[in-house]
Amino acid sequence: MCTDHGCASFIDKAYRCDQPEWAMPHQAEARLRVDEPHEDQLLERPTHLQHTKQPFPGYHQKMEVLLGITGKDFTIVASSKAAMRGATILKAQDVKQRQLNKSSLLAYSGEAGDTVQFAEYIQANTQLYSMRNEADLSPSAIAHFVRGELATSLRSRKPYNVNLLLGGLDPITLKPSLYWLDYLASLAPVPYAAHGYAQYYCLSILDKHHNPDIDLETGIKLLNMCTDELKRRMPIDFKGMTVKAVTKDGVIDIDFDDDKVVKSA
Amino acid sequence: MADRYSFSLTTFSPSGKLVQIEYALNAVNQGVTALGIKGKPTKPLAQADAHANFLPTATNGIVLATEKKASSPLQDPTSLSKISLVTPNIGMVYAGMGPDYRVLVDKARKVSHTNYKRIYNEYPPTRILVQDVARVMQDATQSGGVRPYGVSLLIAGWDEGVLSDEELEKLQAGETSSDDDEDEDEDGNKKKASGKTGGILRGGPMLYQVDPSGSYFPWKATAIGKSATSAKTFLEKRYTEGLELEDAVHIALLTLKEHIEGEMSGDTIEIGIVGPPAHHLLGMEGVEGAQGPRFRKLTPHEIEDYLTNL
Amino acid sequence: MVGKDCVAIACDLRLGLQALTVSNNFPKIFQYGDVLLGLTGLATDVATVSDLFRYKVNMYRLREERNIAPSTFANLVSSSLYERRFGPYFVSPVVAGLDQKTGKPFICGFDSIGCIDFAKDFIVSGTATEQLFGMCESLWEPDMVRLDLDFRTLFPPGIFFYMMILLKNGQLNHDVECSTIMHIICTSDLNFTNASYQSTFATGFDEFFANNLNLLDDLQCPEDLFETISQALLNAVDRDALSGWGAHVYIIEKDKVTKRLLKGRQD
Repeated sequence: MCTDHGCASFIDKAYRCDQPEWAMPHQAEARLRVDEPHEDQLLERPTHLQHTKQPFPGYHQKMEVLLGITGKDFTIVASSKAAMRGATILKAQDVKQRQLNKSSLLAYSGEAGDTVQFAEYIQANTQLYSMRNEADLSPSAIAHFVRGELATSLRSRKPYNVNLLLGGLDPITLKPSLYWLDYLASLAPVPYAAHGYAQYYCLSILDKHHNPDIDLETGIKLLNMCTDELKRRMPIDFKGMTVKAVTKDGVIDIDFDDDKVVKSA
Repeated sequence: MADRYSFSLTTFSPSGKLVQIEYALNAVNQGVTALGIKGKPTKPLAQADAHANFLPTATNGIVLATEKKASSPLQDPTSLSKISLVTPNIGMVYAGMGPDYRVLVDKARKVSHTNYKRIYNEYPPTRILVQDVARVMQDATQSGGVRPYGVSLLIAGWDEGVLSDEELEKLQAGETSSDDDEDEDEDGNKKKASGKTGGILRGGPMLYQVDPSGSYFPWKATAIGKSATSAKTFLEKRYTEGLELEDAVHIALLTLKEHIEGEMSGDTIEIGIVGPPAHHLLGMEGVEGAQGPRFRKLTPHEIEDYLTNL
Repeated sequence: MVGKDCVAIACDLRLGLQALTVSNNFPKIFQYGDVLLGLTGLATDVATVSDLFRYKVNMYRLREERNIAPSTFANLVSSSLYERRFGPYFVSPVVAGLDQKTGKPFICGFDSIGCIDFAKDFIVSGTATEQLFGMCESLWEPDMVRLDLDFRTLFPPGIFFYMMILLKNGQLNHDVECSTIMHIICTSDLNFTNASYQSTFATGFDEFFANNLNLLDDLQCPEDLFETISQALLNAVDRDALSGWGAHVYIIEKDKVTKRLLKGRQD
């Protein structure tokens, strides 16, 4: 099971290959299992998308930090404040999040124009639903709606290049939930999640310290552990985090100390 | 030009009727009579092989019959055919306008593949095909620039059931015993589940009529065309449950005889039957799982044989 | 995987980006009435394809007023995948179910463009294909049964021992008559050629089968199949870095489907 560039390069190879067409899927599949794709290949677009001349998520896109943590009665969604273009930081107070309705929050990273465009499209549609029906969509319903939109986009002429975390509380049961979505429209409900390089640093910390019964305070402590590690290990400054939490009282801003200095290892 | 006249010709009259459809029915009612009877097959008639096994009390066959009138003695009667094969197990006959019928046969054969065979690698059950054909006919009552089809169809077919042999036996036992007292046990429930339209779970023979409006009805026996009303009265008198297929052919011929002007012969009568798999039509032997078509037309010779016994 | 009058289908629960595990709760088996579909490959296509078949099967059920048969569903999968011949979904599906009329097990697999691979034993798919082939090839036997009767109370030890061998070799099923079993025993390497032994065994078996005509009802076919498929899957994914992290196992019998969650290794 893979969601990623491994398969993206699989797509690529399936079409680039000199073999007769009927032989390709197997060929490609074998390649997928035997060879790990080279980093360069990760930056290549699948052939059916190549004519759009848009690079695959580059290194700088993976440097963007998205974090999500659920607990007993809350979901924390956090995103890095740096807006990057290549190696340059264009903005240090960027908020890569949109509130969709009273009880759900969407954080995004990826291709510069796509992210806001897509997030606001989703935001507008969830708000339209709330206006029409006088009821909010549940996080699960939104997640599946978003997946549908991304999946359609994936096989269109110009796909959105957006990775998402969708956090929320079910408006009826108040059960917290978090959904991990990537630009390939893979959807997974998870107790905690991250996107980009942050995954490699944070998931192992959360594996060790997270449990589903934690309260908000503990959740923020966990978040601090994660950001500390990111500051310690990541080669660039991501300019701190915008932290919000969905609780039974709606979406609340969390004060988060971005200036804390972390000693490197 | 085309879009200028692309409104539907079938429009409501102030009294709420669609007169175009009624005119189409009038065309049907001037057509040559065709009839269909569900019955039970017997082996000699169908030339069934020893492997074909029949359920003892099920009605397992159908007869379609119609008169084939040549307008001139110079016409070659073999070139005229009013009963058509649609799938190996489904065939149909019509009353009304011949050219419209040929179009519908083409479309029925086409949709049986595009909507079914090419998707599921099996032929559609009768009801599904009937619905597809009925949709074609209904479309003609609501689309722009077309007139309704001037035909009624009798579609006869045989469906593979999904119930196992034990379940079928249980079902039949339940039917014969629980006529007077409704028992609500497990079997009773199962009976209800399979008592759906067309008994699709149980399988077996299916006989449907489709009208120009696109409505369709399942029948045990019916007639369409010029003398449909009197033919149906005749059939009501003659029809019994669990009719042998051979007797059903007999009754079909008697019914036609009542309403036919000319002489009855193998060349002027057309008969199609749904019976046991006709392996002799398969054109090959020794292929595992290969099954002959259940719908086949009787040869003029076979028809003559029945006529001599009339 | 095919058992005696039952079939099983199982999947792991991992969702990952290459070496990174994103989720350990990503089932890949989907139920459509009596038929089960397993999907491995690109996660987004697993979701898209499973939704597509949910739609198609629901429409089929409404149209035909019956459940779709496993073989019909297999052909539907095949034609649907081939429709995307030149822009395929990157999935390798597996279908499992019991024939509605005869109750015969049905399994098959597909490549990503819908070529069907019918099998009478097992079908594997996904990143641990090689490991699964190895496990299934060594664990699978036709008509797998497990006897929950204690033979030791019914037979002298020698016969019990031999019955176990027969079971192991898949020779003991209701097609094998007592006399055949007797013949095998008497002519076997075990050297039970002594006449008195023979008669003892003969009466022993005859009595046994006379008194236990319902023996076959006590044969635990689904349980043995469950054990076999579970061991095959768990041990295969343990040798594959890209799969594992728990499993779902479905056992399909004539009148019921049992789903079990295997926690598996989480490391």
